[in-house]
This record gives sequence, C-alpha cells and structure tokens, in this order.
Amino acid sequence: MSENVLHIDHLTMRFGGVVAVNDLSMDINRGEIVALIGPNGAGKTTAFNMVTGVYTPTSGKITLMGQDITGRRPDEITKLGIARTFQNIRLFSSMTVFENVLTARHLRRTSNFLSATFRLNAAEEKRMRQETEALLKEVGLYELRDEMATSLPYGKQRLLEIARALSTQPKVLLLDEPAAGMNPQETEELGAFIKLIKDKFDLTVFLIEHHMNLVMDISDRIYVIDFGKQIAQGTPSEVQNDPAVIAAYLGVDEEEEVSPA
Amino acid sequence: MTEIKRKKLDSATVISIVIVLALYVAVFVAEQFIPATSMLFTVIKKGATYALVAVSMNLLNGFTGIFSLGQAGFMLIGAYVYGIFTIPVISRMDVYQYYNGGLVQFTLPVFVAMLLSGLAAAFLALLIGLPVLRLKSDYLAIATLGFAEIIRALFQWDKLGPITNGSNMLRLFPNFNDFNIRNADGQVVVYLSTLVPLLIAGVCIFVIILLINSTYGRALRAIKDDEIAAEAMGIRLASHKRLAFCISSFFAGVGGAMLAMYQTTVQAKSFTTAMTYEILLIVVIGGIGSVTGSCLSSFLFVACSEWWLRFLDQKQVIGDFEVPLLRNGFRLVVFSIIIMIVVLFFRQGIMGRKELPDLIRQLQGKKVKGGASK
Amino acid sequence: MWNTVFPYLLSGISVGGQYALIAIGYTMVYGILRLINFAHGDVFMVAGIIMVYMAASGVPLWLCIPLVLVLTALIGFVIERVAYKPLRSAPRMSAMISAIGVSYTLQNLVLYVTGGLNQIYPTIPWISDSVTIFGATTKMVTVITPILTIVLVVALVALINHTKIGMAMRAVSRDFETSQLMGIKINRVISTTFVIGTFLAGVASVLYFTNYTTVIQTSGAMPGLKAFVAAVFGGIGSIPGAVVGAFIIGIAENIIKGLDIILFKAGIIGGPMGLATFSDAFTFALLIIILAVKPTGLFGEKITDKV
Repeated sequence: MSENVLHIDHLTMRFGGVVAVNDLSMDINRGEIVALIGPNGAGKTTAFNMVTGVYTPTSGKITLMGQDITGRRPDEITKLGIARTFQNIRLFSSMTVFENVLTARHLRRTSNFLSATFRLNAAEEKRMRQETEALLKEVGLYELRDEMATSLPYGKQRLLEIARALSTQPKVLLLDEPAAGMNPQETEELGAFIKLIKDKFDLTVFLIEHHMNLVMDISDRIYVIDFGKQIAQGTPSEVQNDPAVIAAYLGVDEEEEVSPA
Repeated sequence: MTEIKRKKLDSATVISIVIVLALYVAVFVAEQFIPATSMLFTVIKKGATYALVAVSMNLLNGFTGIFSLGQAGFMLIGAYVYGIFTIPVISRMDVYQYYNGGLVQFTLPVFVAMLLSGLAAAFLALLIGLPVLRLKSDYLAIATLGFAEIIRALFQWDKLGPITNGSNMLRLFPNFNDFNIRNADGQVVVYLSTLVPLLIAGVCIFVIILLINSTYGRALRAIKDDEIAAEAMGIRLASHKRLAFCISSFFAGVGGAMLAMYQTTVQAKSFTTAMTYEILLIVVIGGIGSVTGSCLSSFLFVACSEWWLRFLDQKQVIGDFEVPLLRNGFRLVVFSIIIMIVVLFFRQGIMGRKELPDLIRQLQGKKVKGGASK
Repeated sequence: MWNTVFPYLLSGISVGGQYALIAIGYTMVYGILRLINFAHGDVFMVAGIIMVYMAASGVPLWLCIPLVLVLTALIGFVIERVAYKPLRSAPRMSAMISAIGVSYTLQNLVLYVTGGLNQIYPTIPWISDSVTIFGATTKMVTVITPILTIVLVVALVALINHTKIGMAMRAVSRDFETSQLMGIKINRVISTTFVIGTFLAGVASVLYFTNYTTVIQTSGAMPGLKAFVAAVFGGIGSIPGAVVGAFIIGIAENIIKGLDIILFKAGIIGGPMGLATFSDAFTFALLIIILAVKPTGLFGEKITDKV
C-alpha cells in the first residue's frame, strides 16, 4: 500500500466571477510522478499556486503528509517540504549559479542573524557550501557554478531552477512546465533527469507540462483538467484514450463530446 | 575543498583589507603631523559619518530592495539619544535653560550612548516597520518619509522639552575632539579626533559587510531579486524585511550620533527630507548595491562640497579675467548637474554592484562575478 | 467659539484649495507614469521665484501672471522630456531617484540665483486686499482660492471626459502598453499631463505666495509633500479625490495650528500645549493611517500590480 503524501480535497479558486479551479481533488502517493495536464488557461498554475501558498483557496483543503497546509504562507509550506519551480523562470538575477542554490539552503539554518553575521555559524555555513557543491555536481551544473545565473542558456536555467528547489530539501517537488522552450533532445534528457533525481532524493514529483511525450514517458498517473474542472485521470494509456481528454485538446463540439459512452 | 577556501579569503580580499588598513595608518600618521585645522580632517570626519549612513541606506535600497526615505528620522533619533545621555551633568543647566536643567540627570559613557543611539533607532524601526513594510515601493517611500517628518515634529514639541530641549539646541556633549589624548596640562599628546570616527564607521561598515555576505545577506539579496521566488525558497519575507529595516536603522542611529559629534550641536529642525535625499543621491552616485561605492561616494561628496569645489562659490580672477557665474551657491548648481548626469546616463554609479576586491580581481585579470547588468 | 474657529477654518479652506491645485499634478502624473514626481513642489516654488524676478524687472503685473503660468508649464514640459522620458523603460526606482535629483537641482539653482535669501512676493492688487467676512478679516485671495479651485477642477474634469486628449489620458492611465499598441501617442499624452499639472501648480503658486508673501528655495518642499499626501489620501489617480483630500488636509492643518487657542477657549486645556508643532506631522500621520487602513485612498480604484 503506497503512502499518501499530498492530498488535495475539493479545491476551488474564484477570482471575482471567474472560477479558475473548480472542485479539484487529487491524491499523490510517495515516490510517484504525477502530471497535471490540460489546455492553456485550464487552471493548472492556479492549482500549483494554491498548493504552494501563493493563493489561498476559496474553498477546499490541502494536506501534506496528514498536515493541513491550506492557506499557509509560501515559505512555511516550503519549509514543510514542498518546493517548486516557475513556469517563467525566476532565478535570483544578481547571483551566481552557486549562490542561487546556496540561498535556497537558508531555510534549513539554525543560526540567527547575529551568529551568522559574526561567523559563529562557520561550521553550518561550511556544511551548506559543501552540500551545495555536491548538489551542483549531481545535477551537472558544477562547472558553471561561478557563472551569473541569468547568463546561462535557457535549458540550463531550467535545470538550475530544479537544483535550487532541490536545495530546500523537499519531499514533494512541483515542476511548472519544466520543458517549456526545450528542444526534443533536451526534453528527453530532462525526462531521464527527473526520474533520476526522484530516486536519488527520494522525491514525489508533481508536474505541469505541455510536452505530451515527456508526460506520457515519465508519469505514473495523470490528471486532466479543463476550465478548472477535472475531466479525467488515470495512467498515461488510460488518459490517452479518454474521449473527454481528446475532446478537450482537439476542441470537439459539445454534442459529439457526450455521444460515445 | 580548496574551492571553498578560495571563496573565503582570496588574494584580492587580502589586498583589499591591506589597502584599508594602510589608509587607517596613513590617517593616523597624518593626524600627528598636519595641523588639526586642515580641511582634510573635516572631510574625513564628515565623510566617515556619511559613509556609515549611506551604507546603512544601501543595505535597504540596494541589497534588500526596500525603498525607504526615513534615514534622516533615524539619524535624528540617534543624534538626540547620544546628546541627551552624554551632556555632562554640570552643563545641563546651561543647555536646558528653559526646562530647569531637564529631566535626565546622569551621563553615560560615549560608546554606551552611541550603542543606545543605534538601539533606539532600531527599536523605532521595529514599531514603524509593522504598518510600513507591507506597503509597495513608492508608497513605502512616502510613508517612511512621513514618519521621519513626524519624528522631527515630535522632538521639537515643547512638552517634551525636559528631555529633548524642545526646539532648542542640544550642545556641550563630547565631540570628536574629545577623543584626542591630552596630558595633564591639557595639551594634545596623541591626535585621535579623526582616526576614532573613521574607526567607528569602519567597524560598523565591516559588520554590515559581514551581514551582507552571510546567509542572511543572501536571503536579503534574494528578496531584492525576486520576492516571489525568495518566498518560494522558504525565506519569510516579513521577518527578513523587518530585520533589514531594523539593522539599517541601527546604523543610521549610530551615524546620527556621529553627526552630532561632528556638528557639536543637534537640532531637530535640521534633519529634513533634504538630508535623506542627499544621502540617497550619495548612494546612487556610488552605485546602488555596492558598499565600496557608497563609501567612495560619501568621501567624494563631502570633499567636493566642503573643500574641492569651494572655489566655485567665490569670485575667481585669472589675470584680468573674472570667471563668470562664480558666486555663492554655484558649487551646488555644478553638483546638481553632475548628479543629474549620473542619474540619467551612468545609472550604475561609480561602482555598479562591484566591490573593492572585484576591482582588484579585475586588475589581476581574473573573471569578475556580477558587475554591470543593464 | 465659532469666532475662534472660523478664521482657522477659512485659511484652511484657502490653503486646501492651493494644495488641491498642486495635488492634481501629482495625481495625474502618478495615474499615468506611476511616478511620484518629487520635483512637483519645487516647480511650484520656481513659479513663485519667476514671478518675483519678472515683477522686479518691470513687467506689468497683469502681464506677469499669464507669463508665469506659461513659463511654469514650459518648465514642466522640459523636466519631463529631460529627466523622465529617458528612463521610461528603466526600473521605477530610477525615475523616482531622477525626480529627487530634479528637486535637488531646482532648489540649488534657486539658491544660486537668489543667494538663499527670502524673496518678497509682489503684491497683486485686488487679491491682496483685505476683506472681512463673517467677522473675520483676511485677504481676498483666501476667498477667491476655493472658488477658483472648483472652477479649474470642473474645467479639467470636463477636458478629461469630453476631449480626445482627455480620452487618451484616461486610456493611458488604465493600461500604458495597450494604449501604446492602440496608436495613442504616449509622449504627447504624458507631456500634456505635465503641462496641465505644472500650469495648475503655477496658479497655486500665485495664490499661495500672495498669502505667504515670501519665497525661498525650500518653499516648495512642504506644500509639495502635503499635496502629494492629499493625492494619496483621496486615492491616487483620482482628481476629485485629490481635491477632497487637499481640502481635508488644509483644514486639519490650520485647525491644529490654532488648536491650543481653540481648546483653551473651550476650557479643555488650561495652558498652551504647543500642539501647533504637529500641524505638519498630522498630515503624515493621516497618510500612514490611510495607507494602513485603505491603501487605495478614499476614492481610489483597486490597482492590480502588473507582475
């Protein structure tokens, strides 16, 4: 029996009159790679933003390993073990690759500002730096550690976003369109990379993605939403053959959508 | 592991430290031999004071991305706390002549009073931070500016006169000259009146540098770069912004105490918004986000305004030719134009985001991180 | 009681009207550029200085006033072109710093020209005359200001609601990029905004300095800040809001100036409390309260921050 890590319970988000996410429920188990897919504007990123605390849901509940995290602050949620990347890359632009990843270790500090300023935390700082170097080696960014983050090529920036998220020592990793802007070769490598880090860091991965090859290749289960509502879920092959999914993606007329059963 | 060592203390950092120490020695030696009335010392004293305040402002505006315009208010607190607690008891009747000698009837040692100056300013920042730090960029700027004005009014209020001396001056407290070591006859044996303020500012700025390069400093820079990403990496925005605000105010308070010593008198009405603007412009000229830049720019600013550009304020006759335009106030006009040129065309300021070690690395032909972007 | 309060109320309304005319410049510029034009108060002061020098050089007063207004508007236009336009794509902080730089420059220029001495503002006939209303003696300008303010505001609102350039201004303040894409000449709209704003500040300077009679390089700083607070208080971007805010601040400030006397006569306090010290500070306290409670001001719309 697999252990439930992230539980999303009847989640709804309204912006004024617009219902961005409507009664969404999901279960993500330990060690799984689960994808959330759907056409543009279906509410995927909104769902992510609720899980990570950027938005407080209008109604519904989010539970991380049995703990209610609904409406908690983003930094609290990250501390509890959910890390994320961003669809539009948000690296710390004044910092090097190394500093970007190192900064994400800040939340695991035991020092306070005085002990940190007066270097009473030297041992901890040294450990943080060593761990950061090790992490950079694991993800293959070590050679680029002293480059400015924003001077990296696009694909490497996406990789760095993942490395930075890993540096917070998460249990669940949320990837918001990690393959956006990548070519097929890079996308394939990314798929292998996600699987690799999942095993190595004992992660549970929850991702949003448009590259269907990648999604079908790496996901254990897939949830499909359209207009904020779940329209299908299941294994990649189940979802691939689901008429409602095909309709949502191909834009089939309403009448045809209901006909097969 | 050699990699880590390299990061901690490379040759460029060592050279930088040596340069700074050499400057201190030079100032000490100069002070013993050059007459104390030389403009050089005036510039160093005032420059050191401004450097500390500018760096403290840079910590907020340049490293945390909080655009605060309350610096003059925190300096005022620092200056007053210092003055109130260091005026010798025997002089209090003179100073607080309209308030029957005032309420405070004891004296604290100079350095204790300075520490208290910083703490008082930091405490006030803690209180102000609650409503103000939630505001966005320009609203925050105008709210901090407003607070500074409220503080200024409060300290001039007649009813607080027994403590603040109302709208009258505080004076007769120990100033920089009291750092000189005198013999029994009252003659100066060792001159320290320039070195000590330079040391105080140096130590404070060193602490700020340590903070900036600590894990907390990285968190602050992360907030400046991207608040949403910083929060997503587990950095609590509210507490870190408050921390930066309080620390910046602490050092602005200490800077205020130094300004009191430099001026030898304190009066609330002089801590105007214009003073904050001046410090902001110093930070901009030096480079927003560079401690080295703020320091250089402070000394340059003070040297130009007190010394090098003074000639612009007087009639100058070369041969039979009287240089036009030169008269009182022209220096400030030239100044303003320089500032506008920097603001419009050299937005990186003198240093951009680089520090002294980066410059040395550049000279050594090594690759420099950061530097100019856009 | 009424006799004690009324003179303060009267000058409050008058100053309020002057602040309102300045505040409109702030609120319009902020509405379009999201820039606190810190130099606006100094332009107001420069208008006063120009008047002083023009009158001293023998230009008849009836000609001085329109000339000052035109020159002030021209200064506003030039400042925008030189100091703000080059920074349009730069971070918001850069433009704000530039505004502070312009403020510093204007003050220093005036310091240089005047030698830092108080300049006596020319006495303009009729509006400087004394007049007695409801038992309070004051200058004519006190009575004229609120009336003139209302007239100008009504005209301005009509301009914004019923002319093509007004429509363009509304569009630009709603969405800068989109209006640019729709073919609105952004630079013309921004220049017009500055010209209108500084023109009104010029009018305010004539009224204000007729009342206060002296001008010095720092004369613009406080009225400028207060007018900005008024704009925030009323809801930045809203012209009626700025006007209402300005009147409230003007009145509150003057009442506080007389609060010691008023409270003493009402028997609430036994002696002077020195409360007049807080007439300026109160404005800022009001600002902080409104920002903490309702950041969008009295009449402000909710502005969604563009990410």
